[in-house]
Amino acid sequence: MKPGRFTYHAPESLDAAFGLLGEYGDDAKILAGGQSLIPMMNLRMARPDHIVDIAAIPELTGISENGEQVTIGSMTCHADIVAAEVLVQRCPILPTAAKFIGHHAIRNRGTIGGSVSHADPAAEWPLIAILLDAGMVVRSSRGERRVQAADFIQSIYTVDLEPDEILTSLVFPVLAADEGWAFQQISRRAGDFAIVTVAVTLALASGGTIERLRLCLGGMDVTPFRLKDVERDATGKAPDATWMDEVAHLAATAGSPESDMHASAEYRREMAAHLTKQALNTAIQRCRGGDG
Amino acid sequence: MNEGAPFNVIGKPLPRKEDRRFLTGRGRYLDDIDLPGTVHVCFVRSPYAHARILSIDISEAEQMPGVVAVVTGEQVNQWTAPLRMAPPIDGLQPMEMATLPVDKVRFQGDPVACVVATDRYLAEDAAELVMVDYEPLDVVADMFEAMKESAPKVDDALTSNLVSHQTFAHGDTAARMRQAHCVVEAEFRSHRQTHLPMETRGILADWDEGRGHLTLHVGNQAPHPYRSVMAGRMRMKESEVTVIVPDVGGGFGQKIAVYREELTVAALARHLKRPARWREDRLENLSAASHARENVARTRAAVDANGCLLALELELYEDFGAYSFYPANYLARVIAMILTGPYRVQDYAFDVKIALTNKCGNGPMRAPMAITSWVMEGTMDAIARDLGLDPVDVRRRNILSGNDLPYTMATGETLEDINPAEVMEKGLAAFDYEAFRRRQIEDRKNGVYRGVGICNVVESTTYGSKFYKAAGIPGSGHECAWVKVEPSGAVRASAGVMATGQGYETAFSQAVGEGLGIDPANVAIELGNTDVAPYGMGSRGARGGTAGGGTLYLAAQAVQGKALEIAANLMGLNSAERLRLADGVVQQFANDAWSDTELTLADIARVAYLDPTRLPDGMDPGLETLKAYDPPAMTYSNLVHICEVEVDVHTGEIVIPRYLIVENCGTMLNPTIVKGQQLGATIMGLSGTLFEHVVYDENGQNLTGTLADYLVMSADKAPEIEILDLSTPNKRTPAGLKGMAEGGVMGAIGAVTGAVNDALAPLDVVFDRHPLTPDAIRGKLRDRI
Amino acid sequence: MEKVAITLNINGQDFDMLVEPRKLLSDAIREDARLTGTHVGCEHGVCGACTVQVDGRSQRSCLTFAVQAVGKSITTIEAIADEDGGYTALQQALHEEHGLQCGFCTPGIIMTFEAYLRENRDPTNEEIRDVLSGNLCRCTGYQGIVRAVKVAAERMRGGKSEGGQS
Repeated sequence: MKPGRFTYHAPESLDAAFGLLGEYGDDAKILAGGQSLIPMMNLRMARPDHIVDIAAIPELTGISENGEQVTIGSMTCHADIVAAEVLVQRCPILPTAAKFIGHHAIRNRGTIGGSVSHADPAAEWPLIAILLDAGMVVRSSRGERRVQAADFIQSIYTVDLEPDEILTSLVFPVLAADEGWAFQQISRRAGDFAIVTVAVTLALASGGTIERLRLCLGGMDVTPFRLKDVERDATGKAPDATWMDEVAHLAATAGSPESDMHASAEYRREMAAHLTKQALNTAIQRCRGGDG
Repeated sequence: MNEGAPFNVIGKPLPRKEDRRFLTGRGRYLDDIDLPGTVHVCFVRSPYAHARILSIDISEAEQMPGVVAVVTGEQVNQWTAPLRMAPPIDGLQPMEMATLPVDKVRFQGDPVACVVATDRYLAEDAAELVMVDYEPLDVVADMFEAMKESAPKVDDALTSNLVSHQTFAHGDTAARMRQAHCVVEAEFRSHRQTHLPMETRGILADWDEGRGHLTLHVGNQAPHPYRSVMAGRMRMKESEVTVIVPDVGGGFGQKIAVYREELTVAALARHLKRPARWREDRLENLSAASHARENVARTRAAVDANGCLLALELELYEDFGAYSFYPANYLARVIAMILTGPYRVQDYAFDVKIALTNKCGNGPMRAPMAITSWVMEGTMDAIARDLGLDPVDVRRRNILSGNDLPYTMATGETLEDINPAEVMEKGLAAFDYEAFRRRQIEDRKNGVYRGVGICNVVESTTYGSKFYKAAGIPGSGHECAWVKVEPSGAVRASAGVMATGQGYETAFSQAVGEGLGIDPANVAIELGNTDVAPYGMGSRGARGGTAGGGTLYLAAQAVQGKALEIAANLMGLNSAERLRLADGVVQQFANDAWSDTELTLADIARVAYLDPTRLPDGMDPGLETLKAYDPPAMTYSNLVHICEVEVDVHTGEIVIPRYLIVENCGTMLNPTIVKGQQLGATIMGLSGTLFEHVVYDENGQNLTGTLADYLVMSADKAPEIEILDLSTPNKRTPAGLKGMAEGGVMGAIGAVTGAVNDALAPLDVVFDRHPLTPDAIRGKLRDRI
Repeated sequence: MEKVAITLNINGQDFDMLVEPRKLLSDAIREDARLTGTHVGCEHGVCGACTVQVDGRSQRSCLTFAVQAVGKSITTIEAIADEDGGYTALQQALHEEHGLQCGFCTPGIIMTFEAYLRENRDPTNEEIRDVLSGNLCRCTGYQGIVRAVKVAAERMRGGKSEGGQS
């Protein structure tokens, strides 16, 4: 299990990277943290002729906050997101989700941008990006464009990224101070690919009814997806057991999950329902000031 | 040690001697050995489970820069002899296997060609350029399909895929069934697993053209038998082959046989006249090394109204895969032989069928008879269920206690020096079984599904030659050891067994230290080199302690005997009767007490080697012994595993809040090492039951080629385990040793499965197949919750 | 394909080597720097045997190309020792608690936890097991390792250790 041959490039600026990507086109592959790409290369399931390692480009790493949004450079590793105090304060679902990724050694090297660009249907970041309507900042020699996560992540291992483009950062809205949230996942072992993941943000109106809800499911289709109808209809409803059962049922019947060695489609549907209830409960508890 | 304890150093929980090199990164495993000019080997493997090989085009690969050679079965089979697996066993079809297949491939991963290059990266590049033209054949990937008349034949030379079929009967089970209160039937399906040593297989073959000698560095559990087979298949003499086993990163049974890849590499080294190495990658290890288990067992138990066992019938099947690197009956036969283990029953019959399929070949994996205890204990649980009895009561009515021994099982094996009833009772008391049942009832009211599983195990540990003879299996169960005191007094010892992580250097130095009367710290244990170690049968089963440690103990005692005779002569005594060695000093018994003399082992050794005129008349100079020892036909350890589970009926997840073991494994050389074996075996059993699964699709494609697919239990899922001891010595073995290290696997499989079934009993489900994944649990509960 | 000349700093020492860009860091450490304590167990990032520290953080050396490690400070098992060259608290505790058998996974476990115990000086058993889930061990059943990490953490904090057998 040794990777095939490639030519290695380590540009130190975005412009240099654009030049290389423009030159080699489909023959080039961007190397971010490599925690998904290199195993595939070792198995010779991926064999790019040119590797463009973007680790030396300084502006791709880091976390910043401007009051309403947090911006995370695409080369920021999962471990740095887990540890970022600003995220723990302003968007705690991000560090919580990051803890579910692989193991320590993987989190120390794998990056958020790499994960989203890889678009593994079981991965955490695509799901969180879609949940929060994150903006994907994509740059190339032709300029910068911004794509919403749900549009960026098109299908399994497929994203809206031209061969000469680089995902440079991800922009997430911060959560409101009174906004509850939850991230629930079931996998066989710690750090394994998720079977089903459910993420929720939820705010309650002063009367205790739901003011706004985001609900995103992973593992139930080729990409994570939001239950937009459920979210819309939730506004004004009381977050009681009946409503939760209803939402859980809709979660279970959503998407088009596949059976594989680790879980059947039926099991995924059951877990979608189960985790949805858990996630809603946790989020509501957090809204009400509990720590979930 | 306690006052009055029979041993000075045996039984001490000494920390391991091996640890320093492993903790500092200075272990020396196969890959760490570097010979100048070594070439690297990569195998080209079949993508088909069953296909005719029409042609192999190696021309492009051969021309790649860095490639030294590309060979196929055409050449390799001329350089080597085929493997003929044809022991004289009734019902076993003989099989003959070429080193590399030339006519057809039999499983996905079968090696068809071999690339040699200056490094592994280049070898893999070139392997991609080898063009093999296959004609796919019909695939049979299921053992029951394989046994049908119409099934495609895995081995064209056999009359059918039923490679082995054996039956046995003692007493009259049919009559007992007719007389019985009822006949309880149960089924058990274990699934395909693999050993997964953290270090995969591999070999470094070094050919010495001048001497015509082949040195093989290889991770292996049985160096001498390996050398014999290797020499035979290389058409060389054993004297022309040296096997050197370095530190080994786990074996678990996968590193016993001479594998085809290893033989090919040895042949290539001789052909190319330069060192050649192959290190298996994980993909190969999971798909093409050796698999294990995959049994289906059905029992029929005749019982009276109290659940007393009157007769037992076993029907057993095993999916053996495509090749027979071991006699095909080898693993299943042991299951059938020891099935009744801890229970009284004389009317017993079995029918064991082994089928070939287009999958990787099976081999012995830690506890080849792993399924045994689950089958027996699951049968006990089925009896309790059918008769509405408490499963503990059913066991109590049938279990052997010390008073029943010796007990000759229906299969003719005699159990002695075990205490199943006592061990189970101690376990139940420590677990507080009654309190658990009360807690269980309370919890069920709150929707918490808690269960307990009890698994009694009688573990066959050391197989003596008499067992092999009686079972019709060729081979010997003896072991051989030497102990040498060098002129300076330095002590060296060796045996034919080989460690793969167990800690033999520590435990064996205790056996030698005890036998010789010296500090084990001063004993150097030298294992794994066939030029150094005496010819022994190697490590398999649980024979390390009794065969390895026992033989070393006897050899060391013999050396002490000679040393004391010399001492007596030097001291002017008529006899050595009142002398002994303690901590390397000669002690004399006088006035009801032992006291040190001025004579040390080093003094005696100096005389033995350098001043032989002072030796007793007629005594040969030197101070060393070579000793062979053949253990009793079989030694047994026994144990009980009691496992508590909580099943989340919504997710199907299983949590193990408590896990208790009581074990009787005889005298322990080193209880710390024993505990390590108990823990490791138990987790391996749980891992196999809950996580591991080699999955093939109906086309014989292996779907579990990576560690992201073949799941093993990780630390977050492994329970904490409590261990209690109720050991009694074996009266027939040196120092009372019995051996252990496989029973944990057997106990875990039965205990956790029993616990899950107990937890979910209110839902009226019984799990009779593994692995018990959350999805599988939910699969049965889906209509209920 | 051309080999490239690189210098890797491993355990404070510079190693000049000529490698293909595709050469994995694990292979470069073992073959070019001849530091064979770093073991290769799966080459797809799951088993954890090849774990080393890069700039003080644990990483899989099989999921990094050697060329990516230029300019970094790499630490391998061979550099793990106390000031006097003896065992660290973790090594000592692994020895005492029988936290290893065949030793193949051990270097990866030590490299993981030497780094982790700098981050978390007082981990719970649950946290230890969670971290340890990134390193597969086929021999020990993990219990001795978990206990050793706990004991080592206590000693490193200067507290008293329970030690002994569990």
